[in-house]
Amino acid sequence: MRMLGLIFADEHDANISDLTLKRTFAAIPFGARYRIVDFFISNMTNSGIRNIGVIATTKYESLMGHVRYGGEWDLHRRKSGLTVLPPFSFSSGEARYENILEALQANLSYITNCKEEYVLFTCCDAIGNIDYSAMLDQHIKSGARFTCLCTKTPLNKEQGVRTTVYKTDEKDRITEIQIKKEHDPGDLISTHTYIMSREELLDILTQSIDLNKKSMRRDVLMPALKTSKVMAYVTDEKLTYVDTVSSYLKSNLALLNKDLRRELFMQELRPIITRAGNSSPAFYSESSQTTNSIIAAGSVIEGTVRNSVIFRNVHVKKGAVIENCVINQDCTIGEGAVLNYAVLDKGVIINDKRLLSGYVTHPFFVGPDSVI
Amino acid sequence: MARKKKCIAMLLAGGQGSRLAPLTENVAKPAVPFGGRYRIIDFSLSNCVNSNIDTVGVLTQYQPLELNDYLGTGDPWDLDLNYGGLHVLPPYQAAKGGDWFKGTANAIYQNQKFISNYDPDYILVLSGDHIYKMNYEIMLKEHIDNDADATIAVMDVPIEEASRFGIMSTDEKGLITEFAEKPAQPKSTLASMGVYIFNTDKLLNYLEQDEQNPDSDNDFGKNVIPAMLAGGERLYAYLYKGYWRDVGTLSSYWSANMDTLGEDPELWLNDDGWRIYYRHDFHSPTYLGEHASLQNCNCAAGNEIDGHIFDSVIGSNIVIEEGAVVRDCVIMNNVTIGKGAHVEYAIIDHDVEIGAGAKVGGSKEDTELTVIATGQKIPPAQTGKEV
Repeated sequence: MRMLGLIFADEHDANISDLTLKRTFAAIPFGARYRIVDFFISNMTNSGIRNIGVIATTKYESLMGHVRYGGEWDLHRRKSGLTVLPPFSFSSGEARYENILEALQANLSYITNCKEEYVLFTCCDAIGNIDYSAMLDQHIKSGARFTCLCTKTPLNKEQGVRTTVYKTDEKDRITEIQIKKEHDPGDLISTHTYIMSREELLDILTQSIDLNKKSMRRDVLMPALKTSKVMAYVTDEKLTYVDTVSSYLKSNLALLNKDLRRELFMQELRPIITRAGNSSPAFYSESSQTTNSIIAAGSVIEGTVRNSVIFRNVHVKKGAVIENCVINQDCTIGEGAVLNYAVLDKGVIINDKRLLSGYVTHPFFVGPDSVI
Repeated sequence: MARKKKCIAMLLAGGQGSRLAPLTENVAKPAVPFGGRYRIIDFSLSNCVNSNIDTVGVLTQYQPLELNDYLGTGDPWDLDLNYGGLHVLPPYQAAKGGDWFKGTANAIYQNQKFISNYDPDYILVLSGDHIYKMNYEIMLKEHIDNDADATIAVMDVPIEEASRFGIMSTDEKGLITEFAEKPAQPKSTLASMGVYIFNTDKLLNYLEQDEQNPDSDNDFGKNVIPAMLAGGERLYAYLYKGYWRDVGTLSSYWSANMDTLGEDPELWLNDDGWRIYYRHDFHSPTYLGEHASLQNCNCAAGNEIDGHIFDSVIGSNIVIEEGAVVRDCVIMNNVTIGKGAHVEYAIIDHDVEIGAGAKVGGSKEDTELTVIATGQKIPPAQTGKEV
């Protein structure tokens, strides 16, 4: 394959800090049995990319434990594969980086040593099943210098979160890049996914390091709009966002919709792969009542579950009622407890008869390993 | 540099399992799915790695394709090692001809070269078609403490079932005094589980003798064990008290699957202290629809369920549509059950379609177990209108 894939594991938005307390953004669990990074690695391998770097800055233990050498995606090859790239101080001198350009600068030597003709790099807050090879085809066909992935129909994208919006001409050439807090219907919303030639990227990196430039948008893309071809690649695939705890809840619950489930998980030849545990099948007891829900393996359901997403090895005891919730791995919900619009991180214990209730815009969030 | 292993396992996985037909029509019995996401062989392999035995020779013969694919490099069981690990051992041609494995003992006899690569002190001989969770390390320790030449794992079975098994008589210390293969008049209730530990030198000796005997069936139970007893070797019984099932028949296969159900199941599969490892297929998570109800069920991944399921074990990639009722069933992978269909007391093999409104099987009380073989399509009920 002629394209290198780079994934930025961190998303430095305080809005989601609850879920990134002990993990990097890409390692946030999603959809009952995945972590967010699974979608990006799977999209890349499904698009023929065989060499992937995952750039992380902090709290990368669970990310590394999850992806390891990429064996699940058949990426543990002699000549290529998956590499997690923790902070690495190079000429930029910074061990921690706050944005895409700095992260790329810090990994200049990795990118230099790769052989691929093109590079695709992406943030991971827009989850979907995307065929990057079609994006590369367009990039080559259009003769663009940069191609930027964007969507007109972002699902569960919150207002009030910094959003990059493109303006294009009728031929999808980007004419303007805006930062908005409130996005409007029909806006072309950037997913921060870019394709360019690797040589081009290396030039950008060496120059920007020399000139101490720090922003991909301000220092690279904006100046390029006038002088060269920067194209938008507008995907038709559904993309669902995780940018606040509320959108995390909404995006998980959106999987209860059959169409989205099909788009994400049942695309012909484009499976989303994850590292599976060794859990037994989920068990439903005589007293269980489960409707309109996604239930992962290893869970034991004795209570009532409605409109919810339940991760692995969750125990819902008798008489417990769970509605509109996302319950992460290894949680226990006590007898008679009632949960509505709650998001439980990993390993939470809810004692008998506790009542937790939030609302879709303000979910009741419980941090990892808490006992209530 | 010389290296060795203390104990290696030889896992007999070549049998046809004809009494499990049609489930074993295209696949060796050890590769038959079990418990929603496992294969039968996962139990023996997981027992090995959980007992710190990291070298396993799997002897294959009958329909090995799917079994070989499933075993792969042994990575699901952490048996993909540079020294040791999982090795598939098929019958082979050699300079002086070659032969199929003539019996369980002959299968091991033909693989002495594999054994000598590891120079083991002890050889554990297993069957790939039993469902159980057993710590072979404890058995090995007892074998060593007894200074035994061979140790045979036994279970105490009801006297009326004893004539189905190889039956041991022992003294009070467990030393075997008599062995009878499927006796009409059993003298004891200690039944062989087909799990043996041998001192390597002794075993190879007796295999050589057995091979020289043209009248031998080359079988452990029928020939080797009786010969060792007759030769005055120290054979001990190791009494195992946990869960063990020989899933040799369709009804025993069905019951063992049912043993994984219940709030305190006889066969607990999610035991952190004794994991059963398996190879994953990639499935999306299971979705239960608005009309779904599941009671006393195991349900694996990739399923879309909108029907009613009672007392059943459900595999992966299953669609059960609205109004369908499934009761007392074992359902393997890639099965679709249409709207309003009624499936009861049945084993549904993989890749089966049951049409809307169709009726399969009947009540457990007054019907025989129904088995739908792989690839079958049961047409929708002809009721004039859709149910």
